[in-house]
Amino acid sequence: MNKAKTWSAAFALLLGLSACSGDPQTQGNGPGDDPGSVDAGPTEDAAPELTPFEEALEEREYDYSAALRIAALRLTGDLPTLTQLKSIETAGDQKSTYEALVSAYIADPRFADTQVEFWKNTFKMGGSAELDSAGVLAAQLVVEGRPLTELLTATTGTCPTYDPNTQIFTPVDCDNGVAVHAGLLTHPGMNAHFTSNMAFRRVRWVQETFACTAFPAELAPEPEALSDTALYTAPWEFTSISGIANGGDIDFLDYESVVCANCHATMNHMAPLFGYFDDLGILSGEIAVPKPVDGNPPTALIDWLPDGETTGWRVDAPAADLPALGAVMSADPRVAECSVARAWNWAMGKGDIVDTLAAVPQAVFETQYNDFIANGYDYKELLYQVFTSDDFVQF
Amino acid sequence: MKPTKYILLAFALASFGACTDGDTLGGNDVDDTPGNDDISEPDDTSGGEDNTFEHPGGPDIWDYLERLAEEGPPEFSSRMHSCPKMTYERIGNILQSRGVDLNAQSDLSAGFLWRNGAPALGAPKLEVRSRESTEITTASAAKLFDIFAQAAPEIITAMPTLAACTVGGVGTEMFTAEGACTIDGIACLTGVPATVAHLELCNEMVNRASTTTKGQEIAVAALAAAAHTCE
Repeated sequence: MNKAKTWSAAFALLLGLSACSGDPQTQGNGPGDDPGSVDAGPTEDAAPELTPFEEALEEREYDYSAALRIAALRLTGDLPTLTQLKSIETAGDQKSTYEALVSAYIADPRFADTQVEFWKNTFKMGGSAELDSAGVLAAQLVVEGRPLTELLTATTGTCPTYDPNTQIFTPVDCDNGVAVHAGLLTHPGMNAHFTSNMAFRRVRWVQETFACTAFPAELAPEPEALSDTALYTAPWEFTSISGIANGGDIDFLDYESVVCANCHATMNHMAPLFGYFDDLGILSGEIAVPKPVDGNPPTALIDWLPDGETTGWRVDAPAADLPALGAVMSADPRVAECSVARAWNWAMGKGDIVDTLAAVPQAVFETQYNDFIANGYDYKELLYQVFTSDDFVQF
Repeated sequence: MKPTKYILLAFALASFGACTDGDTLGGNDVDDTPGNDDISEPDDTSGGEDNTFEHPGGPDIWDYLERLAEEGPPEFSSRMHSCPKMTYERIGNILQSRGVDLNAQSDLSAGFLWRNGAPALGAPKLEVRSRESTEITTASAAKLFDIFAQAAPEIITAMPTLAACTVGGVGTEMFTAEGACTIDGIACLTGVPATVAHLELCNEMVNRASTTTKGQEIAVAALAAAAHTCE
């Protein structure tokens, strides 16, 4: 793999650290700095006072053996062998030896197993062949070095199978009545597993899985005061979604307790796209999700959006159908950032980025993100970059 | 207000309420839907009588703030390794590669305990949309030690023949002929190079037991359980 990129990452991270620490010109005499440099070092006046957290970062030391144990567990599902441990211990160049072992782990057949496990867990889907196939699709894209964006755009083979004994992926087309598939967006398992009233659970899953934030997903540059206490924060026109006043049965325009539209402005523009799948994930010719009113009748389009409104991913990203939604999502940089953040958190042992609010500032993985885009959304290459990053090998 | 704080505030507010339904609703929240009895989630927020829907709950904002205070802002904490619970599958892989028969039928065998210990070990429940926990609990730690306690004799016996513990064609013994711990044995068991401190601790456990065999088994179980408490 590319050694220069690794050094770039280290350099970028050092720059990032400086940027977070006040005046960058006063930085530079960290433990790893060249003692012979012309920098006179911090003076009494200029010396920045490090926070305990900055000190903790500064005090980390490289430990390729510890990094190897974690990399082996995450990438192969097992501990490193004694031979591998000794190869690090006795290496003249531990960094290169470690990087070669990470490459070997990613090439190991067991890597496919860990990817299936990782993605099933990420998607919260598993336990049946149909549910497993969502995670299997993601793992297949990773193992085969295909763009991860195919999770949102693939038109064929979106219900693959995986044999853990042979580590072989077999493409299978989903059979749920969809004419043109869009990766997991039209997946029968996803649509069945996350079925709910008005398709909102499907929408939430899409948002949290691929954008890595809970709703509200969009913010207007300036909030709009609806009353003395209610602020409308979404960028859509307030009345662009339905309420009692404009024809809907559910009052998404209510703001007595909270402003429903802050979340529902985005949700309601996406939900109709998922509303035609029934509770088994089969596409229907009619809207097939119930409405939570007496008798639980099917939802009508007017319950989400007033006449004239169209569906979309975001206020500036319309999408007339699920393939279009997949296309605009896969072009959204925030979706790519989410993929990188998930890889980062997995490597560093964090909880789910949404469920545990384990946020990762974009600056932390900027180098890996840029490489991910440049490499055509190759997640396998991204994992190599993350597991060999300067932060990963320091403790 | 900065956008991130704005989002956080909006998120917190959204967690405490729900949309009204005008006059047409009568407490028909999500889980009143016929056939949808199984789709509520443990952290859902309940709707109020007659005027709200059930909405999904979110992370505990106070836990989050406490974590921020302890671990620092994400700019720092995201760059530090965390210590997540060893996943259920990886525990099985480690046991197997270190010589444990996962298919053993005895109800006191490590394999049996692992196969039947998924709930206590925090395995995912994906069929109900629940991910594997990354949190270490008292129950999961206790179960892990139980498993390694039962696995210890198998590991000690198998280690010299294990591919994972073989270097240059030569197998590794966990203990010398005199009963002392070996540094390579500890390394292969824990997955990190063993230190002198590891060796001394291991030998102390062996020496303080009523018999050498018991001491060796306690040492292996304790070292493995401690090392594999988290990843």
